[in-house]
Amino acid sequence: MIPFDLAEPTSLAAAIKLLNPDDPTIRPIAGGTALMLMMKSGVFNPEKLISLRKIEGKFSTIAADTDGLRIGAMTTLGALERSKDVPKYAPLITRTLRTLSNVRVRNVATIGGALAHGDPHMDLPPVLMALGATLTIIGPGGERKLPVEELFAGYYETVLEKNELISEVHVPAQGSKKGAYFKVTTGSADDWPALGVAAVIEGDAKLIKSLRLVASAATDKATRLKSAEALLSGKTVTDDLLRQAGDAAIADCEFIADVRGSVPYKRELMKVYVRRAVRGAMDGMDGAH
Amino acid sequence: MAATLNPSDAKVGSQVGRSVPRLEGRDKVTGRAEYTHVMRLPGMVYAKLFRSTVAHGKIKSIDTSAAKKVPGVLHVVTVDDVMKVLKSPYYGPAFHDQPILAHEKVRFVGEPVAAVIATDPHIAEQAVQLITAEYEEMPAVFDEVEALTSDVFVHEQLKPAHTFADLKHLKDAKNTNVALSYNLRRGDFDKAFAAAEHQFEHEFKTQKVLHLSFEPFACICDFKDTHVTFYDSSQGPSFVRTEIARLLGWPENKVRIKVPYLGSGYGSKLYIKLEALALALAMIARKPVKVAHTFEEMFYQITRHPSTFRIKSGVDKNGKIVARKCEVYWNGGAYADIGPRVTQKSGLTAAGPYDIDNVWIDSHALYTNVTPSGALRGFGVPQLVWAYEGHTDMMARALKMDPVEFRRKNLAIEGRAHATGQILQDHPIEKVMDKVLERMEWSKPFDRGGNSHIKRGRGFAIANKAVISPTTSVAIVNVSADGSATLYCGTVDMGQGSDTAMAQMVAEVLNIPTEDVRVTPRDTDVTPYDMGTLGSRSLFHMGHAVRRAAEDARDKLKALAKEVGEPEGSNIPIAELFQKRYGMQAGNVIGSGIYKPDYTSPAPGTGQSPNVTPFWMLAGSGAEVEVDTETGHVKITKLITVVDCGKAINPKSVETQISGAALMHLGFTMFEKMHIDGGQVTNASLADYKIPGFHDLPTKLESLYVEHDQSNGPFGAKGVGEVATFCVGPALANAIDDACGVRIMEMPLNAETVYRALRAKMGKPLEDA
Amino acid sequence: MTAARTITFTLNGAPVTADVKPHHNLIEMLQGEFGLTGARESCGQGLCGCCSVVVNGRAVSGCLYLAQFVDGADVVTVESLDTREKLSPVQQAFIEASAFQCGYCTPGFIMMVTQLLDENPDPSDEEIKHYLTGNLCRCATYPEVIDAVKLAANKRKAVATA
Repeated sequence: MIPFDLAEPTSLAAAIKLLNPDDPTIRPIAGGTALMLMMKSGVFNPEKLISLRKIEGKFSTIAADTDGLRIGAMTTLGALERSKDVPKYAPLITRTLRTLSNVRVRNVATIGGALAHGDPHMDLPPVLMALGATLTIIGPGGERKLPVEELFAGYYETVLEKNELISEVHVPAQGSKKGAYFKVTTGSADDWPALGVAAVIEGDAKLIKSLRLVASAATDKATRLKSAEALLSGKTVTDDLLRQAGDAAIADCEFIADVRGSVPYKRELMKVYVRRAVRGAMDGMDGAH
Repeated sequence: MAATLNPSDAKVGSQVGRSVPRLEGRDKVTGRAEYTHVMRLPGMVYAKLFRSTVAHGKIKSIDTSAAKKVPGVLHVVTVDDVMKVLKSPYYGPAFHDQPILAHEKVRFVGEPVAAVIATDPHIAEQAVQLITAEYEEMPAVFDEVEALTSDVFVHEQLKPAHTFADLKHLKDAKNTNVALSYNLRRGDFDKAFAAAEHQFEHEFKTQKVLHLSFEPFACICDFKDTHVTFYDSSQGPSFVRTEIARLLGWPENKVRIKVPYLGSGYGSKLYIKLEALALALAMIARKPVKVAHTFEEMFYQITRHPSTFRIKSGVDKNGKIVARKCEVYWNGGAYADIGPRVTQKSGLTAAGPYDIDNVWIDSHALYTNVTPSGALRGFGVPQLVWAYEGHTDMMARALKMDPVEFRRKNLAIEGRAHATGQILQDHPIEKVMDKVLERMEWSKPFDRGGNSHIKRGRGFAIANKAVISPTTSVAIVNVSADGSATLYCGTVDMGQGSDTAMAQMVAEVLNIPTEDVRVTPRDTDVTPYDMGTLGSRSLFHMGHAVRRAAEDARDKLKALAKEVGEPEGSNIPIAELFQKRYGMQAGNVIGSGIYKPDYTSPAPGTGQSPNVTPFWMLAGSGAEVEVDTETGHVKITKLITVVDCGKAINPKSVETQISGAALMHLGFTMFEKMHIDGGQVTNASLADYKIPGFHDLPTKLESLYVEHDQSNGPFGAKGVGEVATFCVGPALANAIDDACGVRIMEMPLNAETVYRALRAKMGKPLEDA
Repeated sequence: MTAARTITFTLNGAPVTADVKPHHNLIEMLQGEFGLTGARESCGQGLCGCCSVVVNGRAVSGCLYLAQFVDGADVVTVESLDTREKLSPVQQAFIEASAFQCGYCTPGFIMMVTQLLDENPDPSDEEIKHYLTGNLCRCATYPEVIDAVKLAANKRKAVATA
């Protein structure tokens, strides 16, 4: 890494003041596990980093009520994993965290950072989208709310202004809904995923009342599979219907080719894993390949 | 120190054959073991490299002006500056073809073009980003088969080193990319093949993979005008010393190479890597200079050879292989490194461990415009076995023969002649095979599973390798006046456990506990010559030298006892012996040993030799897999590897070497691959180049050995560092074929590759992109 | 060049100060300022685990952790685990199970296994593999590491009941 300056403001408001909407060489740093990779590889050479680690403690807390979870953006993924409340209100998050990166990264990376980075390979964005989570975003002009599914604008791109910060993530209680997240790797078992599919379903053993299906990693950004959702919603699940949903899901996505697979292969994986994720959610099982 | 001259055996017990815990264990588990990459010298400065962005081109200009202005930058160095301190800036073990920094041309993306020396590595890194270069791009050649006939030439003229006689004829050769062609001819292939009942021809390929030692390459050079010291992550300090002395025009005794622990090497840290560059930079800076790679930079240093292997066999009506032709093309990259040796020394075993009367082998080392290739745990043999054991299975299937019985019918057993003409001795290949089959329960019915989309299968492979010959090792055993023993040997312990195994041999001879033997760190001012820690040669060659040195010391101690009037068979404490002779705790007894095996050079053109290698390495693997036919994912449910180790000097170390080698090769087989686009490596990081982790372990992993006494080996032993890598790849490919009827001819066997093969088999191939 | 700042923290139980620059990571500081070389940067991406250090009771990848971030924190490295007389049960188990080869990744494994056993004194094979997902060994000494973790668990239990 080449030299840069570091500021450590003690409030979120002060941090926002230090950011400059027109200067891409100034960036906020939370846990830093993802940002450091970009800096070390020379992809990003900052003039100045604004550390969020010393802002008010309330941004690192998890609160639970009947509405669901209110998670401060600076909450580490490790704290989220160990929270007693998270499995009560959103067990899918706890299960997802088990295979998210590794213990050390989870101890440092934050939920806000994981979202603001806009990396389509990350596990939490599709899961939070499938759960219908919303964000509180604070900027110089005040705060606004945004569904997580509207956050991502493209490959490593979000709709956040350069002087806006995520302050909180609100996750509605999962309640009777069942969820699954399948992380499909094509290299070593612990590779970044070639495809992630999250499914959250309301229904019984056969009938789907409603559902949210989200794909990631194979796509340029975490993407709702709305055509597949439309096909499945209100239906009794059959193999044939799931096959149709898999085909329909393809049309919802912008696929990207990389060392983890070609576009045609990722399409095939998508077809298979839309089916497996829906079945997995309904059977109350999920998992990584 | 309880060492005595003639202790009863019962007192110490046998040291050879005991699983002695590693002597360096405490240093390693406490984090206090020393590695070059984390070493610092007082006054040391740091170098970072500016690298080529084009695969082949003439250098038009290099602009270092902005970099020079960065505060803290001491020098920005190009080859012109290097040539002011070292007249000829070229180095290499087989060819003097690699420039310290690019000279007139660049030959691969990532080739070092300029270096920044600064007081702080971050400043050096920052300054590197300010260097620019202009190139006149030239057409490039990347594929090894194309390189044979291409009119793109990586080098204008070839520059063989003087080391190897069979390269002399290539001196000043022009208009070629061939850095060596090795040929073996036995019998009459053409005639026998034409007459054979069945004829088979296949082409196999292997991809570009690399070592990725967790301690990246590092070298610190402390140059003084009268002598020079290197702190070096090297597997071959003796070679480095010779080559640096050559570059300087100095005698060897002014060049000192110190090697602390090595964060492994697997063949990458052999011969000469960063040392010539570090030397030039230290001469320019007149301060100690450290050159230490980042993880990413390892992708531009050295890799394994990609290969194309065209193999033809003729089989008679009884299932006997009567003719085999092997055409092997090795993708050597931009600089030869040790590629020509890989081409020859592995090439001679290309026909496999089979008894075939008519053999034709052509093995070609080729220059291309990618990162250079060299030795990687097997010296080319895993690439060969990948082909010939896939080929063997395919033939057995076509002949409707059991693949194991087909092999059994054709195996070259003891007393038969190898393709080189050498009569096979200590070659218990059937024993190895039988042990694999026994552990696989091969003769029992195999459960293929009832699941609709999960298909189960199993595969087997077997191989041999000739140890590289002839090579020399020297060792010294020093018995101090208190009776303690110190071993000086140049074998670098990079994790294989050699320090402990060598100490066991000393202890066995001197009848003392292994734990009491001290093995000195490698330092060419102190440790005598060794050819290098490579090719599974050390336990055999250095083992002999160590044994002889210990025996020499023992004999000298006995002579000393006689001199001071001790009766024959006296069990006098060693310390008392010195006390008697020198009047106080003083003096030393120095034993030395040297070993070089007998060898006959292969005849030019035919490759025939009655004595091409002192020992054979033998391995067999069996694998069971489950293939998800909807996605191509392969789960390895069983992986069994058996090797012949001669005699296990340290049984636990042997097992660890076998499982480590097998698992490393599981990565090369299943998913490791350097992706290269237009000469540019696109996955040069651990995030994008994946290696095996805990979750890649087979459900059942067995790593076993048989002990067939190596009759000419030290204590009956031979090396086992590489042998378990040989058969993993083809055993897995054969198992996948057995499971779902698809044959993959090119590694890796990743999910997409298997899925594509399944689709092709269904007649519905998946489109390319 | 950006300015250095003096930070104060606890290192292996002792209060210390260090002058660090913003771009220095924790590993560079431990090696450069304190001569502690047990934690090493290898992959530089938090994936291999060679740089594992414990900060405020939780393991982090030192190569991805800015040195200034440990201002006021409690930092523990592998060098804290042994005394002249005694190795920790995990270290002893690694030697007995032969759970290393080249040793470069070993201190990282020792730190992570110590954390694992603090959290889960009796882990199953699956729990061991899961917890150590972020520790890679290019020598592939994985089977021996699993053996060592179990051996260490037993040693710790024996100490606890003694």
